[in-house]
Amino acid sequence: MRAETLVITSESRELARVRAWLGEQLARRGLDSHAQSALQVAVGELTTNSIKHAYEGRAGEPIHISVESREDSVVIQVEDFGKPFDPSRYRHPDLDEMNESGVGLYIVKRLADELTYDLARERGTRWTLVKYQAGTRPRSA
Amino acid sequence: MEIEVTQTGGVTLVVPKGDLDMGTADQMKRTLTELIEKGQSKLVMDLTDVAYVDSSGLGALVAAMKRARAVGGNLKLCGLQEDVRSIFEMTRLIKVMAVHSDRQEAVASW
Repeated sequence: MRAETLVITSESRELARVRAWLGEQLARRGLDSHAQSALQVAVGELTTNSIKHAYEGRAGEPIHISVESREDSVVIQVEDFGKPFDPSRYRHPDLDEMNESGVGLYIVKRLADELTYDLARERGTRWTLVKYQAGTRPRSA
Repeated sequence: MEIEVTQTGGVTLVVPKGDLDMGTADQMKRTLTELIEKGQSKLVMDLTDVAYVDSSGLGALVAAMKRARAVGGNLKLCGLQEDVRSIFEMTRLIKVMAVHSDRQEAVASW
């Protein structure tokens, strides 16, 4: 199945559209409802980060979300063209604290089998999330 | 997001319907803050009709829980759907928040 892309603008009301589109894409690719739900949360968190941090709340800026099937996995990319992610500012949350913020990326890492980011571009960040089909996750992943 | 608020005994029951994400978290936080400021700090939230909660939504609930506890109340939860519950487990909030299986149990726990 070929890659599909959704382009949204950086407003929170777009998050529901992302969830609906992604659910449909993942169902067509054979993922069960729990995997769909997990990836909707993960992609929602990355999209929220783009709105809040990359674009610092500015509306009307583009965010691209793509889904691609591979033999053993689904690969999802979330790409913005704003302020790049700064890995030096990321702190793993202390889960013994009752955190009011700062757990979004932690949730993404827990829900994805692999998560990488590409900063080697003119602007913004491209996140790549891989979810393997049940029983196909490589030992090293 | 539709948020229904009713009183049962001395407990305030909050029943949201819809997704709790970045777009609705502020509304939730505002609603809960107003209730607590009016003295309604014994809160039960029934999440039966919430299929999606993200970190912004969690943040709104944690903030309200802290605020309620600071004045002698609490925010107790019930009716968590399986996928929502897994987010609470992943972030360990399931251990620090009072989570009940259903509305009757949560209200009775006060």
